[in-house]
Amino acid sequence: MLYIHHTTCISPQPRLVGGEEASALAGGEGRGTAAGPVNGVYKVVEPGYPGIPPNTLRRMSKAVRLGVGAAMPLIRQERIDGILIGTGNGGMEESVKFLRQIVDYSEGMLAPGNFVQGIPNAIASQIGLSGHLRGYNSTYIHRGLGFEHALIDASMLISEHPGTHYLVGGVDEVSGYHYRIELADGWYKTTVTPGLSLYDYDSPGSIAGEGAALFLVSGESADAVAAIKGIETFHSTDQHIVATRLRAFLARHLPAGSQPGQQLSGSPALYLSGENGDNRALPFYSACAAVLDPAVPVVRYKHLCGEYPTASAFAVWLALQLAPPQPLPQHILFYNNHKLTQHSFILLERFR
Amino acid sequence: METAQLKERLKAQIIEFLNLSSTTPADIADDQPLFGEGLGLDSIDSLELIVLLNREYGIVIKDPKEGRKVLVDVNTMVDYITQHRTK
Amino acid sequence: MASRVFVTGMGVISAIGDSLAANRKALVRKESGIGYSGPANSRYVGVIPFGSVTFSNAELMEHTGIYDAGVSRTTLLAAHAFRQAIQDAGLLLSEATSGGAASGCTTLLTATDTALIGATTVGGMCLTDELYRDTNGGAQGSGYLASYDGASVQQYLQNRYGLSGLVTTINTACSSSANAIQYGGRLIRNGLVRRAIVGGVDSLAKYTINGFNALQILAPAACKPFDEHRQGLNLGEGAGFLVLEREEDLAGKKVYAELRGSCNVNDAYHASSLSPDGEGPFLAMQGALRSAGLDASAIGYINAHGTGTENNDASESQAMIRIFGTPPAFASTKSSTGHTLGASGAIEAIYSILDLFYQEAYPSVNFSTPIPETGLRPLTEFKPMKLEHVLSNSFGFGGNCTSLVFSVAPARLAKVI
Repeated sequence: MLYIHHTTCISPQPRLVGGEEASALAGGEGRGTAAGPVNGVYKVVEPGYPGIPPNTLRRMSKAVRLGVGAAMPLIRQERIDGILIGTGNGGMEESVKFLRQIVDYSEGMLAPGNFVQGIPNAIASQIGLSGHLRGYNSTYIHRGLGFEHALIDASMLISEHPGTHYLVGGVDEVSGYHYRIELADGWYKTTVTPGLSLYDYDSPGSIAGEGAALFLVSGESADAVAAIKGIETFHSTDQHIVATRLRAFLARHLPAGSQPGQQLSGSPALYLSGENGDNRALPFYSACAAVLDPAVPVVRYKHLCGEYPTASAFAVWLALQLAPPQPLPQHILFYNNHKLTQHSFILLERFR
Repeated sequence: METAQLKERLKAQIIEFLNLSSTTPADIADDQPLFGEGLGLDSIDSLELIVLLNREYGIVIKDPKEGRKVLVDVNTMVDYITQHRTK
Repeated sequence: MASRVFVTGMGVISAIGDSLAANRKALVRKESGIGYSGPANSRYVGVIPFGSVTFSNAELMEHTGIYDAGVSRTTLLAAHAFRQAIQDAGLLLSEATSGGAASGCTTLLTATDTALIGATTVGGMCLTDELYRDTNGGAQGSGYLASYDGASVQQYLQNRYGLSGLVTTINTACSSSANAIQYGGRLIRNGLVRRAIVGGVDSLAKYTINGFNALQILAPAACKPFDEHRQGLNLGEGAGFLVLEREEDLAGKKVYAELRGSCNVNDAYHASSLSPDGEGPFLAMQGALRSAGLDASAIGYINAHGTGTENNDASESQAMIRIFGTPPAFASTKSSTGHTLGASGAIEAIYSILDLFYQEAYPSVNFSTPIPETGLRPLTEFKPMKLEHVLSNSFGFGGNCTSLVFSVAPARLAKVI
């Protein structure tokens, strides 16, 4: 079993630090206090990065900065045996800067910094370099599922090497270049008002976002905040398949016995939905909601972080910030849909 | 261009090219080593500086050994620029 | 008890051939694929050598039957090797129709317990000019908007072949596909899937050519791994895929080798170069031996990372000396294929497995003078050799180092001892 001990997050919501306030923001009561998008994009509020030497910081792409910045507080907590990072966009901005050098200087003499920093594994490797961490180090770039695949790998490592600790997370940046590509491909709305009204649009596209959410995990239950009880990822364009797989997922990881009064499977106490205001994705979210008991409260979060490939890492982080309801432990289900074809379920048990 | 002026200009270019945003030209002494304990530049930075010399002064350095002789400090770079610049 | 993991199918395309047989033939005959062709849109083609696949995109389309819009060369190369691998393992029952699942019925290929773990560093970045235009914005996209990232390769294979299990893409630079092999093997050992199709791909691209050129590590002539006078690497392209299955599922199948051990570590030294003492490569090899439960003396041959750069070969040599004292026979097949980046881990795993399967060792080409500090000499002639265990090294930018250990299949063991 994979247990979460510590978390950090760099997100567009610098005020979102936990407890009642987080619950209010996510629930909508605090509609006015959530930071909104700037020029149609949810941008992270970057910290000052006091732990990163200036000579190191200047070489980093934004994605690397976010990843290393979020990792620094965690790598001081515990011995780290490995780093596993999911990223959909990697260092896209640096890559495109290098590409533009290629074109602008007709393949002449080019500065290599952008090329090196733009490689997606630069995030995990720079965390390793910054913390002198020579253990396992891997990067999962499978669009909307990279964070989930990093979690699956961490759960395997924990069972293979008892007593080890890993840093797992999802990191994505949004850059102007990437924004233009996604916009042209129909993934963003051109105008959107901030807050929960994101979910009221009956139109395609969502709103761009970015962030870094990292987790310190191990196989030890002592002092853990939560445990990951199940993860499943798959590809489908059929909402009926998504519903069928959710039923099977819950029956496997939350069997009826673990919660009283349920038939085939237990019911999560809370459902975090990756709904993003794109009306094409709505049928998938509706199909999942229909699988659950209507009494299960739903928390949506993309009006806080925007849409990006590893937004589910933000969701897991957010769930651990919400004021804990009683009684604990509590099972929390996450469903996220990326670009209508990639699906992920995560089942988390929260202890504190 | 006067040597002093060239030095100031080069320092500003180094800062911009290498994104040394917390450094000002006044922070870089003419004889401060660029690498190691000095400015703390690394091997990728040295390739970036060779590109800077090419784009700003039309200088082509192909042999890495020659690069190492040129990229010692601002003084050595300015000497080389003065002798070899094509623009 | 975790299942042992075996290789039951392989497919490969590289500068030295478009099939297992063609690659083996070239390796045996020491025929290098390094030459002067390459992607037509780069000014370096004809100027510096590359290891390019001889097929044009149109020819690759013809071979793979893929004519869909928006498909990059990277995906075409992957599809070529992927199809060979699943065919070799008996997983391909009927050819899929373009753009959709093969059929309604579930096969071993489309079952939810079959995973696909791919790896690439270039992905659709080979579409340099299209990407440049699309990043400038405008109302009309190029038709490749969803094709630039690395995941686009696996996404395409998944759709085309109707895969419904875990599918992912790993990018740890030049060790990417070694990590894909490791991830797939561990999914099986952990009981999360029953079989995994694992591998990697990269195509020659203006993007990477200029990136490596800017780092001044492209050789002006054919590369000479481990030679004192090495001048850098030759970029190559290709794809390799392997089918991994559990020991319990091997009945009646051709078994190439066992994936016996693996280890992934980070050198934590520099963003684009390895530590002079080869700490990362050392830890990767040591960890792979440990996970295989083998002493260093059990390794009969090493397919070295051996890029031909000043830095890699010095670092890897130091690490080999630290592990083995006197290293066993080793070679860099990159001297024949060029450095295929994200594909190299898989392509060289396949060569390592062919070494075991045919009991022979493939040589380096172009080597003449050892590095004075190490004195190591790679194998320079093809040689039949009794081999029980081989090691395959893959190291990448960002210090990502992975080593894999393959062991001779039990049915073949009798012939070795």
